[in-house]
Amino acid sequence: MADILDVAIVGGGPAGQAAALHLAGRGLDIAVIDEQPRPGGQILRQPPASFTVPGWLAGRGYARLKHQLARFEALDDIRWLGGCSVLDLAPTMDGLSLLAATPGGISRIRARHVLVATGCQDLAVPLPGWTLPGVMSAGGIQAFVKSQRFIPGERILLAGTHPLQLIVAEQVVRAGGEVAAILFAQPRAGMIATAMRHPLIALRRAPDLAAAASAMATLRRAGVPVRFGAPLHAISGMDRVTGAVTGMGEIACDTVGLCYGFVPQSALPRMAGARMHKAGPAGGWACAHDHWLRSSVVGLSVAGEALGVAGAAAAAAGGAIAGIGIARDLGLFAPEQAERMARPHRHAFDTHRAFAAMLDSIADPTGHLPRPDAETLLCRCEDVSFETICGAIEQGGSANAIKLATRCGMGACQGRNCEPALLRLLGDVGRGDDPGFTARFPARPVAIGDLAESG
Amino acid sequence: MKRVDVAIVGGGLVGCATAWRLSTAGASVELIEAADINAGASGQNAGSLHFQIERRFLENGDALAEQASSIVALSRIAVEDWRGLETALNADLHVSMAGGLMVAETADHVALLERKATREQREGLKVRTIDGDAARAIAPYLSASVLAANHSADEGHADPRTVTPALAAAARAAGATIRTHSAVHAIGRRAGGGFTIAGNGFSLHADQVLIAAGAWTAALCTLANLHMPLYPVALLMNATERTAPMVPHLVQHVGRRLSLKQTHAGNLLIGGGWPSRLAQLPGGGFDLSRRATMIPDSLSGNLRAAIDVVPAISRLNLIRSWTGVTAISADQLPIVGQVPRMPGLWIAAGGSAFTLGPTFARLVASAMAGGPSEALDIVSPARFEHLNGFMG
Repeated sequence: MADILDVAIVGGGPAGQAAALHLAGRGLDIAVIDEQPRPGGQILRQPPASFTVPGWLAGRGYARLKHQLARFEALDDIRWLGGCSVLDLAPTMDGLSLLAATPGGISRIRARHVLVATGCQDLAVPLPGWTLPGVMSAGGIQAFVKSQRFIPGERILLAGTHPLQLIVAEQVVRAGGEVAAILFAQPRAGMIATAMRHPLIALRRAPDLAAAASAMATLRRAGVPVRFGAPLHAISGMDRVTGAVTGMGEIACDTVGLCYGFVPQSALPRMAGARMHKAGPAGGWACAHDHWLRSSVVGLSVAGEALGVAGAAAAAAGGAIAGIGIARDLGLFAPEQAERMARPHRHAFDTHRAFAAMLDSIADPTGHLPRPDAETLLCRCEDVSFETICGAIEQGGSANAIKLATRCGMGACQGRNCEPALLRLLGDVGRGDDPGFTARFPARPVAIGDLAESG
Repeated sequence: MKRVDVAIVGGGLVGCATAWRLSTAGASVELIEAADINAGASGQNAGSLHFQIERRFLENGDALAEQASSIVALSRIAVEDWRGLETALNADLHVSMAGGLMVAETADHVALLERKATREQREGLKVRTIDGDAARAIAPYLSASVLAANHSADEGHADPRTVTPALAAAARAAGATIRTHSAVHAIGRRAGGGFTIAGNGFSLHADQVLIAAGAWTAALCTLANLHMPLYPVALLMNATERTAPMVPHLVQHVGRRLSLKQTHAGNLLIGGGWPSRLAQLPGGGFDLSRRATMIPDSLSGNLRAAIDVVPAISRLNLIRSWTGVTAISADQLPIVGQVPRMPGLWIAAGGSAFTLGPTFARLVASAMAGGPSEALDIVSPARFEHLNGFMG
């Protein structure tokens, strides 16, 4: 590998692919780094290379993304570093430095430009019973179904506020699984009214609305109840999930998928010291950026959900803008040329982000999140209860002080799961301006033996 | 204007412990902290209770080692202070004093150990030198590369997350006022004695002032027009995932930078003085308001030293590395006591202040009330009085 790469792209999903497609073929040293062995991101999560999954993501909605993926996989001047976790990202004198855990050990990668396109994760939602085996994020269920046609339960209940749960339920049903019900905590009237307030935005994304409608039809045919104004209160079971306490009464199930929205994977830009701002209503942190999606850290660009969760189409458009911007900064395009090339992508970016903003208001979990009880674990890495955290909040400290006092956020996930819940609680008592946890190395747990200098 | 007997600047271990001691003795105390209680080195350090002479005192020749060995007198007192702290505060601080081993892996290190133990025994600290097999009999987790060790039965660790908050709670309960998120902007001497302390939205009169603000102490001393030779240092620490109990002792190394222990929760904490890089100000100088950055060689070197001494660590996951910022003085010894040319102004900073903090606090509180202060003579700011010949 070159001593210093021209571009390192972290994330092989739609945003990272789009950027790579704009940067490839120009004599640059480029690597694309991803935790999964194969590119695609969460949206096109590929089966392992040794698997054959008939009719993998055959739906029409995936066609464009699959076309882009095929073009990306055909590139021959991009180094694909699959199965690699980036542990650290830090600015240096002449670019940025990444530390990655690769299948062959720890590797330091230096690059003049880095694009962070790390996607998002499901919002973790603490509620009574959420640590029972059988409780998953809707995205987790979808990952199993998409990549391996594996249905992680006999009878799955989906609950939350985000319309994605309709798509997940449809995929489960099509793969032969049973969905007990889909519960939306918010009333349907409010969702429709929000969409009606933005008819043009909705119209431009008619295929997505059609997909939701088609999912609804599939679910109706399969006899799956879809309920609105039906909050989830608690999950019951002794050793694993046996049911859920809901606004519709007790529902028997062995698996619950929680679907209250998504938060950006923000660890890397935060570690690099980029300026962040609050992401959408589900919480989390989005990276502040300029016209070319460059962050406040020189050489660091961002695209996709790290800018705020807006879906695959916005991610692909943003990836293209960021890729063109990096090529421009490397002197490959004149400013006017870059602007011309970026124009259609900017249009798509704005359209899709407007739709995402509408979806955010439809799916807004604020006021619809289940209430933890005193013993509910908010931080499940370190077993810190809701009661303990409320006690620490009363002492008046910042999120970092509460972390130090209670161990909330000190575990293996580095606060990825508990930070949004803690910041919500701080917001409830008028401390919504808390900057959150200080991002710590490593972004992912890594074996000490791999990091130590050779003996 | 509000008047108190003592104003304390800094809400770390020493500040909170002094506030507790003073208010328990009936003094009126106001403690002023720029951030949160326990936000600095008091909460960021790895919680070692180390009573043996530290490796950093031994690596710069015999003259410095000789001078530093005098601190053992304070370590001996600190053993007793830590033994009584949980009872005195009626709080669980996860104090564990199951003993500590300072190990050696080469013949040179073994010689260093023996010279160190001689100094310590001369100062009355109970330390014995044992060979590698004897060390492994006590600590089976140690590697075969360990040739010898100094064993101190009193060493151990406590939980930095809980010690200072417990001291702050005890100080409050005894009547002290604690003001957080309040930076001090002015420290002025009053005609006729005493000081005025002012910051955003507050000012008060105090008969005496203690500055116990870790790496920020030198800057605060400039508010009183004093030089204090304290220099910020940024030290790396690492935590593994939680694991079953395996290391009950404090483990240090006489020839390499390593300190290692297992917390009450089960994480192994690995440190020992590996540097991080402090943020810099554009015009020169260090910027303590910004985060220090990790030096890759510090990380890999520290973890290598840990694996060499405790091989089982190799398979554990690292889940967090962080940097704490403390201060060291010009001669490496802490600076604790009254500034001779400015009666009523007291300093307590300069490192080792987790292990020695409760002792510093007790002695300073007693000396402020007119009690004896001989035990603090070896760390007194009087030794730097020459720097303040044109100041004050």
